Amino acid sequence: MFFALTDDQQAFATTVREFLADRFDLDAVRGVVEDPDGDGHPLTLWKGLAEQGALAVLVPEEHDGLGLGLLDAQVVARELGAGVAPGPWTATVLAAEAVRLAGSDEQQARRLPALAAGETVGTVALRGEAGSWDGRGITVDAAGASDAVRLSGTASPVDYANVAGLMVVAATDPSGAPGLYLVEAGAQGLAVRDQRTYDGTARVAAVELTDTPAEALAGGGLAGADAVSAVLARGAVLTAADLVGLAREALTRTVDYDRDRKQFGVPVGSFQAIKHTMADLHVGVTMAEHAVLFAAHAVDSADAGDPATDIAVSVAKAKAADAAWAATGAMIQFFGGIGFTWEHEAHFFYKRARRRAPLFGTADEHRERLAALTIE
Amino acid sequence: MDLSYTAEEEQFRTELRTWLAENIPAEWTVPGFWESLDPDESFRLRREWEARKTAAGFSGIQWPTEYGGRGGTPGMKAIYDEETVRARAPQTVNVLGLTFLAPTIMAIGTPEQKAEIIGPMLRNEVIWCQGFSEPGAGSDLAAVSTRGVRDGDEFVVNGQKIWTTNAMHGDKIFTIVRTEPGSERHKGLSMLLIDMDQPGVEARPLKQMSGASEFGEVFFTDARVEASDCLGEIGEGWRTAMLLLSFERGASGVGQYTEFRRQYDEIVSHARRFGRSDDPVARQKLAHCLVELECLRYHAMHILTQVEQGRDLGAESSMTKLQWSETFQDLWEAFDDVLGPESSLAAPRPDVDLAPFQHQAMWSRSVTIWGGSSQVQRNIVAERVLGLPR
Repeated sequence: MFFALTDDQQAFATTVREFLADRFDLDAVRGVVEDPDGDGHPLTLWKGLAEQGALAVLVPEEHDGLGLGLLDAQVVARELGAGVAPGPWTATVLAAEAVRLAGSDEQQARRLPALAAGETVGTVALRGEAGSWDGRGITVDAAGASDAVRLSGTASPVDYANVAGLMVVAATDPSGAPGLYLVEAGAQGLAVRDQRTYDGTARVAAVELTDTPAEALAGGGLAGADAVSAVLARGAVLTAADLVGLAREALTRTVDYDRDRKQFGVPVGSFQAIKHTMADLHVGVTMAEHAVLFAAHAVDSADAGDPATDIAVSVAKAKAADAAWAATGAMIQFFGGIGFTWEHEAHFFYKRARRRAPLFGTADEHRERLAALTIE
Repeated sequence: MDLSYTAEEEQFRTELRTWLAENIPAEWTVPGFWESLDPDESFRLRREWEARKTAAGFSGIQWPTEYGGRGGTPGMKAIYDEETVRARAPQTVNVLGLTFLAPTIMAIGTPEQKAEIIGPMLRNEVIWCQGFSEPGAGSDLAAVSTRGVRDGDEFVVNGQKIWTTNAMHGDKIFTIVRTEPGSERHKGLSMLLIDMDQPGVEARPLKQMSGASEFGEVFFTDARVEASDCLGEIGEGWRTAMLLLSFERGASGVGQYTEFRRQYDEIVSHARRFGRSDDPVARQKLAHCLVELECLRYHAMHILTQVEQGRDLGAESSMTKLQWSETFQDLWEAFDDVLGPESSLAAPRPDVDLAPFQHQAMWSRSVTIWGGSSQVQRNIVAERVLGLPR
């Protein structure tokens, strides 16, 4: 039994954490947050991550990647969450995963090296407004012959569509079958409309497609609904990892503050009203950390469509979302008034948690999926 | 990550599973069977069965062979916990002795204590009780007032213990006693091993809110114990007690997960039976329980890994306790939530017996109290894990 990260995986985490501390600390994050008209994609951060191989983790070695698994990728996601780091890391990694899982050998060879090197920013557009995150929420239609596909419809919200050179769009064909399609930046009939999220550590847009030329991802290991589900599962796990990383960091910062902050002549952290909440948060965040590890390992090692993997993914996403909301809400509460100010960093954590937690399925949606998997 | 057990451990699983299949009567596995028995009869059956299990080599899984144990691995203990729950095997009747007293004796007992206590305990010839809590000393264990006065080679003990598991069936009791007159708090205590079969010891059952009597009270009135029947040094009882309680660490969540997950599935089947499984609110509550149960399973794998790596778990056992006990209680609150008006009826339909479920639901109120209440565990997590000031 070895339910833990290996020494290599822990070293990878340390490398990313130290890089962020040295080169992209909270002051740098603030610079991005306070520039809402900027593209939210600082190149120093992006190039540094690319140099460390953070974008190449899941890309096969024959396409210039590291050929590792989701367990390794979640290491990066956790650190980026802990550092509330801006940029299209998750979006690009998921786009590459879509190409790897559903693309032909030729498509992989043509697309993956640039994504792994950070030369191309990618993103995924897998649902539309008010749609569910299970493949039924697709609001883009595909038409035309397989070598001349045209997409129409609006996908939203899409992370970092503003800087993406390559988008993976989920669309349904005239028979109603879902599938994944590639759309390049600047394509005819493609409009990217900034949606202005309060989470200043991201940029989010609606992707509006009008008879836009696209390339079907086909000839790979997965196709159709299976391919969409596989990308959604990886999106859920990496988002859960980001949320767990930021939840742990929010809790650690709050505990550190309440050890020192004095009222009534004693540290406020000595009051049981605070201690007990912190203890419950620690247990909750720890369980979410376990759940993310287990889910990442389950995706890495299971056959597609294994219900046990679906359970693991939904447990991780539901638990991480709840833990992140609880820990970041508590961060504001237990820093007191200062935690409510613009100058304090608590709102970076809180807003990132609020925005990211519903992505790839809200906690309620994942619990409903768990009910469907265990009650029927 | 490698979530598998070794080939040797899987071989052990096969042997144990085979033995359990051949040695548990079918009627024992019907929910509610044990509750339907007279308590003395239930105890006698379980005591005999467990002795047979020991003879077959399936007790003391991780104990050294020199003490009659199997000399197995932590993984085998986890497998044991899982398989015995899966087979609906009876629960041990010597839980306090096996969990706490035996490893403490192995660590600090005298050669005589090692030779005379462990074997009979393992064979269920001697049932051990734990004499820690008192009416005035619950979470605050150092407030014990049961006193022992030296009289030659003996101590004369007077006082009262409470919440004593198996009080009515115990043969001996390991007891925290204040042996230095005038001492306070953690000082002047001794861990005395007292024979319960003597005129100075009286046990009385405590009837619980569920109607069952798993606990009792033990009264000492001029009870006598040899001074040599002290575990650890005389006057160092607090240190002995802390060592003893540390053996709760590493308690396997694997068995608890297996049991609670089966209870989840049983609650779900009742929800279906009573037409409540389509209700979206009920589904959210059940799925919430499932999330916490699965987290308990992952946590058990984490703990097992830490043990196998030889790491000190420290205060992490408090997290384990919080996770399993709060989850178990949530699960049985969900039972009431989901079944609604039917949840409180023992026989809502002629062919449906909910009494065993209600017994579990009532029992769930106790688990966040005994073994360190949730409030005490939160203090421990906050102070010893997070480093918040006392």
